[in-house]
This record gives sequence, structure tokens and C-alpha cells, in this order.
Amino acid sequence: MIKIFIIALLINNIVIMRYLALCSYVGMTSDVGQSVGMGFAVTFVTVLATAATWPLYHFILVPLHLEFLKILVFILVIAALVQLVEYYLKKNVPGLYAAMGIYLPLITTNCAILAVTFENISNNYSFITSIVYAVGVSAGYLLAMVLLAGVRIRIRNSTVPKFLQGTPILFVATSLIAVAFMGFSGLIK
Amino acid sequence: MKRLWTLFKQGIIYENPLLMLMIGLCSALAVTTNVSNGIGMGLAMTFVLLCSEIIISLFRKVIPSSIRIPIFIIVIAAFTTIIDYVMQAFFPELSKSMGVFIPLIVVNCIIMGRVEAFAYKKGIVDCVADSLGMGLGYTWVLVAIAAVRELLGNGTFAGLQVMPDSFQPILFFTLSPGGFLVFALFISFNIWLKGRMNKTQARRDVAKEDAA
Amino acid sequence: MMKQYLRLGLILAAFAVAACVGLAFVYAATSDQIAANQDKQLNESLKGLFPDAEGFKDVTADMTALAGESKLETAYVATRSGAVLGLAIKAHGPSYGGPATVLVGMGTDRRIVGVRILAISDTPGLGLNASNPGYYVKKAEKVTFTGQFASKLITDGFVVKQDVDAITASTITSKAITAIVKASVDSGESWIERNALGGN
Repeated sequence: MIKIFIIALLINNIVIMRYLALCSYVGMTSDVGQSVGMGFAVTFVTVLATAATWPLYHFILVPLHLEFLKILVFILVIAALVQLVEYYLKKNVPGLYAAMGIYLPLITTNCAILAVTFENISNNYSFITSIVYAVGVSAGYLLAMVLLAGVRIRIRNSTVPKFLQGTPILFVATSLIAVAFMGFSGLIK
Repeated sequence: MKRLWTLFKQGIIYENPLLMLMIGLCSALAVTTNVSNGIGMGLAMTFVLLCSEIIISLFRKVIPSSIRIPIFIIVIAAFTTIIDYVMQAFFPELSKSMGVFIPLIVVNCIIMGRVEAFAYKKGIVDCVADSLGMGLGYTWVLVAIAAVRELLGNGTFAGLQVMPDSFQPILFFTLSPGGFLVFALFISFNIWLKGRMNKTQARRDVAKEDAA
Repeated sequence: MMKQYLRLGLILAAFAVAACVGLAFVYAATSDQIAANQDKQLNESLKGLFPDAEGFKDVTADMTALAGESKLETAYVATRSGAVLGLAIKAHGPSYGGPATVLVGMGTDRRIVGVRILAISDTPGLGLNASNPGYYVKKAEKVTFTGQFASKLITDGFVVKQDVDAITASTITSKAITAIVKASVDSGESWIERNALGGN
């Protein structure tokens, strides 16, 4: 199980190695604090979503032979969870709510969360393993966000060639981060 | 008819979802390791976009604004499931090679974005033109990126050996870092293209003013 | 106020029901084809391993559980004119990017007949080369990763990089597949012994 966590966090990092959750990756990394906030929000929603969708699939959809409703049910559950989180933040942590602005509802369309819920099913994980996997993937997401936020600070203070200014340099930076991450594959024997 | 053609062209070039609007990026990088996946993904996404826009446009007068998002999700999820099962049945190899990315079409920002901004407000015929334009715009960029990555990373194009035997494939391009790099260059090229188009447009505007 | 919520709820429910009904139709229409696709792949692989076999009997219930993290899916006995040719074991186990499903064929002479990869989701160009018919671990003799298991005695060593050639830069995948193969043949061997087949 530790293996699954390490693989999700580093070796097969959801953003750097699997290209998921890129919209928020590019959009919310201009500030390290924002990245951390987003990372934790995604972690929270992912774990909750796993805890909700896994039993839903195995105890309701499968016995009733309704597996084909998986996509529909899972995305609706995630959308509902995000609404709940939004409501809770608005009431109890208005500062964070205001800071996150438009990106909070965008967590619904975060490919990473939905991908995790699907993979818990297709990889036949047990409930505990699914939770571990969800935490691992979200931790990987948080890591990638913070890394890029840090790199962006450096980019702001350097001279970037004209043709790479704006988004291209971010992807070039990510490409280099990816090369570094590929070195992690030696971690698991 | 001219209006429809303009709408269609918007999606392909001027408002290309991937290059200009920069949405729907996730799947774009993951499935472009080879051209077959790129075409498959592009067409699957176009199918979901087209059907979703048609249905929502059809029922737009009936859908209350307050619950429109959940209804959009239901419609898009339904069509994503349909294309997923159709592909599993009739294109099993392609379906397996794309894995989790077909179901992920449901969270493709392009579809949600277009449905909200366009299908909810316009008539069916306009929606068909818009969705086909956006869908094909998405597809051609996918195929272009995939072509570069497959040719350089594997020496093949859609599985057919193109590069001579002496060509040593540069694995880098099929892997994550290569994907990001190729994408960065595509965006960069596109920003330049946009700049040129704006300059031409400005020149045309000035010429019109002079003529007037 | 209540009436308004009721109306909203009903519209939402109507869409949801329409979607579910539509999906049920599509599912009913495609599920047979999907099942047939899976059967086709299995049958082709079984035939590929045992071309002389006339029939395949399911003996999954007779098999012992696999060691380690591999899980047995199904096992078939390949027969010809009543004689047992060998055993085909379909198992899955964890690999780099998700589970991999492998079909291992072994003969009653305790040699592996062949290994087929039925499902794998590793990185193209690296781990995915396990199922790539054009990728050779021994370039001179044109031996693929799964091809190297053919004619291998099941009592031989299965240590990657020692007895088994790994895929370049894909040690995790190589070890994962090898582990599934090893677990499968161990279970297969115990079946052969229990059914008093094989000379030694």
C-alpha cells in the first residue's frame, strides 16, 4: 500500500507524468499560498469523493447491474460535494472562499478527481486502498502545484525569450520538472 | 449560410479551443502519443459536444437557469457514457489504448464551456455549426501534436513506419516531458499567429477607414 | 415557494430519468458485443498458445490461489482427443500504471508454452513494450519480452535481470509481469501434480 502511495505521489504524478488537472495547474499557481489552498481543497474533495463513490458503486450500482450509470453518478456526486464545500467555506472561511473565487466551482471539472474515482473501480482497489490512492494522488497534485508556483516566482524575475513569454515558458518549465520526476522511478524495487 | 460558415470557422482557427481559448488541455497532452489516439479522442469529443449542444439547445426554453448546471452535467455525462460503450463494443483496441480518457470527456472544459456560453442561448442549426467547428478545431490540433510526437518519438504515423530504419526514435517525445515541450512550442507558435492575424486585421480596419 | 422547488426538482428528475433510460438502451445494445470482444481476445490467445488443442475446459475451481499480489481469474485445460496438452492460466496483478492481465500457457512437461499479455496500461515506449510484438529484449534472435518465457522450465529461476531479461528502463513493469507469470505457473504446477500428470 505504501507502494501505491509513492507511485501516485512521485513516480506516476498525476499532473507531471499523467497530464491531468492542467487547467487549474496553469491557472492557480501564480501564488504559492493559492496553490496550497487549492491543493488542500482538491485533497479534501478527492478523499470525500472516493469515500462516497466507492460504496455507491460496489453496494448499489453493481448489485443492481447499473454499472453503466457510473460516469453519470460519479460526476454528479463530485458536483454535489463541491457545492457543499463551497457552501461550507462561504460560511466558515470567507477569506479562503473569496481568494479562490472562480476556481472553487472549477474543482468539479478537475479531471484528476474523476480519474481517481474511476481508477479505484477499474484497478479493483479495496476501500482502504482507494483512500490511500486518493490521498497519494492529491498529495502529488499539491506537490506539483507548489513546485510550479515556486518556479513561477523565479520566472517572473528572469528574462524570458519573446517567443516563450506567457504560457509556453510554464510548459517548458513543467517539461523540465517532468524530466526530474522521471528519476523517481528508481524508488520502487 | 455565410453566418453558419463563419461560426464553423471560428472553432477551427480564430477561437480554437486548445490554442486560442486554452481550455480542455488535460486530454490533449495525454492522448497525443500517437495519431490514432488523437483522431479517436477528437472524434469522440466532437460526438459528445455535438449531441450535448443539440439536446440542450432543443430544450433551452424548458431548462430553468437555477438548475442548468446539473442538467448540463446529466446530458454531457449521458453522451460520454454512450460514446464510451460504443467504442468498447466497436473499437475495442482504441478504447483500451485510451483508457480512462474517454470517460474523462465528461469534464472536458470545452464541452461545458460551449454548452453554457452557446447552446443554452442559440438555436439548433447554429449549435451544430459551432460544435462541429469546435470539435474539428480540437481534433486537428490533437492530430498535429500527435503527429509530431509519434513521428519523432516512434518513427511512425498512425502505426505505419514512416521514418527510415536508420532513424533512432527519440523516446523523449512520447513521454511526459516531451509532451509538455511540444505543447509549449505549439502555444508559442499560436500566439505568434494570433499576433499576425491581429496586425492584418488592424491593417484592414485602417484601410476600411481610409476608403470611407 | 414549495411549488417552485417541486417544479425544479421534477424537471431535474425528468432529465435524469431520460438519461438513465437512454443509457440503459445503449448498454443493452452494446453489452453483447463488448462481451464478445473480450471472449474473442481470450479465444485467440488460447488458440495461439495451444494451436493443436481441440477444446478448453474451465478448471478455475480446481486451482490454488496465486502467491503474492497476483490474482487468478480463470484457468483452462487444453485437451486433444481426451489427452491433456497443458494448462492456460489467466491472472492479473499490479503493474506500473495499473493492473496487467496475463495469460500463461504451460505444458504437462512443466515447461512454459507461452505468455500473452491481455491487458496492460503502462507507458508507451517503456512498460507497454511488454505487449509490443516489435520490441525485442534479445535483438539478435528477435525475442520479445513475453517470447523469452517460451520453453522455460517452471522450476528455473525467475529473477529479473538474472534469469529474465528486462525491458529497457522498465524494471517495474518487467518485474510485475514476471511475478504474475511465476505465481501462475506455481499454481499450475500444483494442479498438474494433484491431477497426477507429467512424468517427473
